Amino acid sequence: MPSGPDGANGTSRRREVSDLYATVLEVVKHYHGAARITRVSYGAGMPVDRLRNFVERLLALGLLKSEELDGRPAYDITARGQEYLDSYWKLRGYLEGLERGPSDERPSRRR
Amino acid sequence: MTTTEVPKGRTVTLGDVPGDLRVGKNARIEVSGRLTVAGVARFDGNAEVRGDLTCRALEADDGTVRIAGSVHATESVRAHDATIEVEGGFRSVHVDVDRGLSIRGPAEAEEFEVGGYLDGRSTLTAAKVSVGGKFRLAGKLTARAVDAGGSVDVGEVEVDSLDAGGLIRLGGGTVKNGVKVGGRFVARGPLSFGSLDAGGTADLQAGGKGGSIDVGGVLSVGGDLTFSTLDVGGLGSIHGDATGESFDVGGKFDVGGALRVTRSVDVGGFMSVGGDLAGESLDVGGMLSARSGIFTGTARVGGHIRTHAGLKASRLVLRAKARASGPLIGGTVELEHRARAEEVYGESVELGDRAEANRVVAKRVRVGRGASVSEVLYSESADVDPEAHLSAPPRRVDPLPPFPL
Repeated sequence: MPSGPDGANGTSRRREVSDLYATVLEVVKHYHGAARITRVSYGAGMPVDRLRNFVERLLALGLLKSEELDGRPAYDITARGQEYLDSYWKLRGYLEGLERGPSDERPSRRR
Repeated sequence: MTTTEVPKGRTVTLGDVPGDLRVGKNARIEVSGRLTVAGVARFDGNAEVRGDLTCRALEADDGTVRIAGSVHATESVRAHDATIEVEGGFRSVHVDVDRGLSIRGPAEAEEFEVGGYLDGRSTLTAAKVSVGGKFRLAGKLTARAVDAGGSVDVGEVEVDSLDAGGLIRLGGGTVKNGVKVGGRFVARGPLSFGSLDAGGTADLQAGGKGGSIDVGGVLSVGGDLTFSTLDVGGLGSIHGDATGESFDVGGKFDVGGALRVTRSVDVGGFMSVGGDLAGESLDVGGMLSARSGIFTGTARVGGHIRTHAGLKASRLVLRAKARASGPLIGGTVELEHRARAEEVYGESVELGDRAEANRVVAKRVRVGRGASVSEVLYSESADVDPEAHLSAPPRRVDPLPPFPL
């Protein structure tokens, strides 16, 4: 599953809802429009019944779209979903930088 | 073609199987020498093979298949709603596994397509690796394209492209084309790369050498860094020297050593350079400090620049209300309205209205209305506004004292 739960120092933190949405979106994106619910379930490490709730919510918010592929639904990320991911990862990056504290970001070598 | 069947729950001993093999749920196969199946080895649920397996195709459905030895499937390995665990080496062409695939020995295939996790304890060689969730490998990864929806955590790499949704952590090596990760990128050893695009953070712990770098959040580099273009939206630091074409920082950035570019340095936020700074053009909107700065083209400072040895450029513009600590050396030097500098040297130096400088040394000097200067030395001309404030009249000297830098 994606590394949403990883903290700044590599330790795990509890996955929040925003992490889970990002996890699902990343796995769906990986399949380039052909994401089946079972494959997303394996990739996201989430049971199918729980995943369906997330997928329904993401569809309602316009972050995912669904199309019939060989008679079964297949999912793809929308531009809005990609926007969510861009913002999510950028914020996570900033938070990680802030959590490190000022002493960690200053190089020790000076000339 | 005949099919040899192993009933569910039974334990049998097999060696050569002339046709296909069908193994029932919870069956166990003891192996006499090597289990060699001429056709398809199909497993209907949990099963165990207590030795090496060779077959044309391996198929598993709804369970976990454990193979205590190696697997060589000359055509394919497919697992539907199933996991395959291999204690030895693994060799095939097309691999498509829904849940998970773990391999203890060296692994090789044309293509690995895994829905859940791919876990290798040795090396892996493939043209393409695609994993929906986590891809973890202890040894070297050799591949053309690697793509994971979740994370990639591998040893040394020799790949063309690497793409992951959440995390990429690797031991070092070469990524010929691009690395792209939505979240976090970590390279523990030296890395050579075509391009690096990280939405969150990038951590090159032993430095790196590559093309363009685009980091949305935080970039940390443990050693030296060579790049073509570097664009960091948030925070960053480079412990050693940085060398490239252009450098663009939106937030706060520290370089421990020198920063040398062939084109532009653009600082929107705060940047400090422990060593010397050099390039073609400089644009500082925020604050920049360096030991020295030398630019062959134009340097524009809108915020605050601080140097120990000086800032030198063909054309140097200190914008309105900007501030410079340390000598400024032109070419042409322009201090706009209310800009403040210490020592200013140039072919031509112009102080705008209410600009301030301690000392101006130039061939041609122009001092605007309300501007303040303690000392003006010139060799060709001095044009001083009557409302300017000079501590002493401009003094003509020829030759001029030597300029810094």
